Amino acid sequence: MMSVFANIEHTWLSVWVRESPSLLAFPFILYLHTLGLAMLAGVNVGLDIWLLSARDHVPAVRRGVYQVMWLGFGINAVSGLALLAAYPAKALTNWVFFTKLGLIAVAMWVLEVQKRELVAADRGGATVVNDRLRRLAMLSIALWGATVFAGRFLAYTHSILLASEGF
Amino acid sequence: MWESVWLEWFFDPIIHWLVRTPLSEFVMGYRWVWPISESLHFCALTVLAGTVGLFDLRILGLAKGISPRTLHSTLRWGFVGFGVSLLTGVMFISGQPDQYFYNNAFKLKVVFLFLMGANAALFYWREFACVRELGPHDDAPTSTKWVAGASLFFLAAVMLCGRMLTFFRPPYG
Repeated sequence: MMSVFANIEHTWLSVWVRESPSLLAFPFILYLHTLGLAMLAGVNVGLDIWLLSARDHVPAVRRGVYQVMWLGFGINAVSGLALLAAYPAKALTNWVFFTKLGLIAVAMWVLEVQKRELVAADRGGATVVNDRLRRLAMLSIALWGATVFAGRFLAYTHSILLASEGF
Repeated sequence: MWESVWLEWFFDPIIHWLVRTPLSEFVMGYRWVWPISESLHFCALTVLAGTVGLFDLRILGLAKGISPRTLHSTLRWGFVGFGVSLLTGVMFISGQPDQYFYNNAFKLKVVFLFLMGANAALFYWREFACVRELGPHDDAPTSTKWVAGASLFFLAAVMLCGRMLTFFRPPYG
């Protein structure tokens, strides 16, 4: 497995992201990852807080907001893959990385369930935010919080940085 | 040359005082304080960006169906997020003050934070009375949209400068 990681580390993308002195390489890709976080997790958490604070109003469907979140997801997926290409062994030998991926998958699933619930409540003419929606909102906040913690802890819990430099 | 002499004259006593505070010792003395504070800083940023960003998106017309007035009530959590960011930010600065005071990305971040605050003050001074009256499907006035657009820009700029801190750090002395 380490030889696969070492091969990835020698690709032009990996070398450019990791070693280029340009601010558009590693620093800007890292920034895009944070921007994507704000667009996806941030807006999702904003919606969750709104759902939890709403007392007597069920919102209509907000397609534009979901488009912003999916754009954030796309930015995070692309920037995440670039960061993974730069340090594959660092991430793929760390269980925290897989925990982060699992948390993101569950959070995205909760986002979709929440969206369907909102549409159903809107069509049904509900006048209050139901308990299921509130529970989903709380779960979503907890999942994104845990994802952020897992993401930050990646920098402090890895045991291998580069497979090609030995470990 | 004169600029750096002036900066050292101004900042060095503050740095020497900061690194001797109990807060600095707490931040640097325990292995997990920094990573946990960083995670909290990012969680708070997520809440701040989410509540302020969603409100700005509604003003710009992307979240129609939600009344701006009800969405505005979530901004109190944005202020909580800002407070946690500020607190954890002070912890980082007290831990390694020289890494921030002599860092151009940090200086620019502070400038954008002030611009963000000034923009928020402008919103409450000139636009809020009008926004309060908007219904769930109403369009915000153009002037309010400019303020919301500026808010999103400053938020993105603060995040950019925050991320660039690591790459503009002075050498450890």
